[in-house]
Amino acid sequence: MGGFSLFVTVLFAFAILMVFMSVKSVPQGMEYTVERFGKYINTLTPGLNIIVPIIDRIGRRLNMMEQVLDVPSQEVITKDNAMVRVDGVVFYQIMDAAKAAYEVNYLDVAIINLVMTNIRTVMGSMDLDELLSRRDEINARLLAVVDDATTPWGIKVTRIEIKDIAPPKDLVDSMARQMKAEREKRAQILEAEGLRQAEILKAEGLKQSAILEAEGRKEAAFREAEARERMAEAEAKATMMVSEAIAKGDVQAINFFVAQKYIESLKAVAAADNSKLILMPLEASSVIGALGGIGELAKEALNKKG
Amino acid sequence: MEATQIEFWYWWVLATGFLAIELLAPGFFFLWLAVSGFVVGSLVWMQPAVSFEIQLLIFSVLAVASVLVWRRYFHAKDQQSDQPLLNKRGAQYIGRTFNLVTAIENGQGKIKVDDTTWKVQGPDCPLGSKVKVLNVKGVVFEVERCGEATEPGK
Repeated sequence: MGGFSLFVTVLFAFAILMVFMSVKSVPQGMEYTVERFGKYINTLTPGLNIIVPIIDRIGRRLNMMEQVLDVPSQEVITKDNAMVRVDGVVFYQIMDAAKAAYEVNYLDVAIINLVMTNIRTVMGSMDLDELLSRRDEINARLLAVVDDATTPWGIKVTRIEIKDIAPPKDLVDSMARQMKAEREKRAQILEAEGLRQAEILKAEGLKQSAILEAEGRKEAAFREAEARERMAEAEAKATMMVSEAIAKGDVQAINFFVAQKYIESLKAVAAADNSKLILMPLEASSVIGALGGIGELAKEALNKKG
Repeated sequence: MEATQIEFWYWWVLATGFLAIELLAPGFFFLWLAVSGFVVGSLVWMQPAVSFEIQLLIFSVLAVASVLVWRRYFHAKDQQSDQPLLNKRGAQYIGRTFNLVTAIENGQGKIKVDDTTWKVQGPDCPLGSKVKVLNVKGVVFEVERCGEATEPGK
């Protein structure tokens, strides 16, 4: 009876142990691989699972959530021989627990090393300027390569981001200088453009004013010539009229006008202030003649009356 | 081994203790022991004459049996969730249509999904064709062609 009691007690302990060994609850976000005699047979999904005790063991416990890995900072030489420090992050998710557990040893280390070497490859084929301006393209290229490479491990690399690209200090300084020079150049060009425009506008103004002035002069000359023409015409007409009048009447009539002019001229000469010397550049006889003409006219007039 | 007579209360106290441990400790180990304890307690309540060894034996067998019974009858039913696709990233895309960003050649190509690319297996199609995700094998989608090529990479 003592033996039976012992057996029952041991059986009791064994039963409890069996329960402990066979009931496996897997929390959400995890998956456990099951090994039977050390060989993988299946994967336990979240929830309550029963495995065959003694022959089955839990192999690996895998996190099925998307995970983030920091890619440590490293020195990279670009195509144009600039040394830059680069770091980044990798997001990945295990899709196939069995592959992630058994196809690769130290999954995280493998991923990080793969990303680091590929960062060198991709960035080594680019110039520094491209590196700084085309991060999207770098990320896309890295993702394509790393995702393909990690496919056999049953993981999906969802994104790779380059976090920081830090060129050495002297390079940063010269980049700043270059930017400053670039901006100064633009400013100077703009200033020169402004000056040029202003000069052109001024010259245009001067040209316009000169043209207008010349046009004015031309117009004035035209009008003057016209005036002279008109004047000559009038003179001619007057002369014609006088000649006609003379032809119709007496020659003596002209003498009346001449005499009138002579008398007027004489009056002007006589009225001059310095009249100590009287110049007589004309023949007095002509004046007298004219007066004679007037006498003749008077006679004729009187005769006509008479 | 003529100890004090084990009363059915002792088993029920033990079962309640197991349940309390179950509440505090994760892992669902003690639930089965608690169930067995209640059953054995009930048996002792009906048949007080059963010896302590037999009670222990029944308890041991029941503990293992309860696990097996649950596995056979309740395992499938018990796995209900209002988010059955949780942590099954690939399965979330089944039935959706995408454009190829890499033509399928020799059965292998790529599609653009959200902000990343996925490998696909399926019949050969030119770049930009619309494909429908049928199934997920690890990190590769199985697709069928469902439309003519439109603008690639969308």
